[in-house]
Amino acid sequence: MKNQIAKIFVFTQKINRQHIQVAFMLLTLVLFVLGAGAPSDGGINPPK
Amino acid sequence: MILLVAILAGLVAGLSLARLQKHPWTVPPLRLPWLVIIAFLPQFVNLYLVATSTWISDDLMAVGLIVSLTLLLVFCWFNRRLSGVWLLTLGLVFNLLVISANGGFMPISPQTASRLVLPETMATLANGDRFGYKDILLLPEQTRLIWLSDQFLPPEGFPYQVAFSLGDVIIAAGAFWLMVAQGKVVKAIKT
Repeated sequence: MKNQIAKIFVFTQKINRQHIQVAFMLLTLVLFVLGAGAPSDGGINPPK
Repeated sequence: MILLVAILAGLVAGLSLARLQKHPWTVPPLRLPWLVIIAFLPQFVNLYLVATSTWISDDLMAVGLIVSLTLLLVFCWFNRRLSGVWLLTLGLVFNLLVISANGGFMPISPQTASRLVLPETMATLANGDRFGYKDILLLPEQTRLIWLSDQFLPPEGFPYQVAFSLGDVIIAAGAFWLMVAQGKVVKAIKT
């Protein structure tokens, strides 16, 4: 258990500010293109 | 899906370019990123969230979509100096124009739509019905700004069939360019 916690701690230490910035930028861009784009693959057709 | 591929391809190309030039890839300094989250919210609630999308009227959905796209346009204005954003803006304006001109949804012709769904599903749909998430089935003669509608398709036999607009193509190009540009060496401005 202690070993697991130590591993998680080491992993979180490796996540630096730039990783968070990249993740947030990618999230922003993904939401932008999903919001602004309107391609259709048929998807779910709403009930009438 | 095609738009997400453009981001991923741009990221890979940008990272490769940065590596070739022995220059670190930099995160695009986006301004007001929270505005995109707020702008996407009406679409998420109205179109994608099953619990709410089933009881919200089409009129309200149409208004929500136009408000959402307008907020994204504001985001583009604040980020206009970044490479590729002018392409994102152009694509967004094209989609906003055609959506606004056709009652708040992206028009798609029955002929194009028939390539995307089974004939049995198509038989249950009539002209003017909603199609997919953001589209509306409209005959070409009833469609305003038809050249901006979802009219392009990949070649027959392509494993993923999707209809897309000119605006979508330009948005994909803008997203790609924004990611690639971060891998380029920026020359210092002499003062």
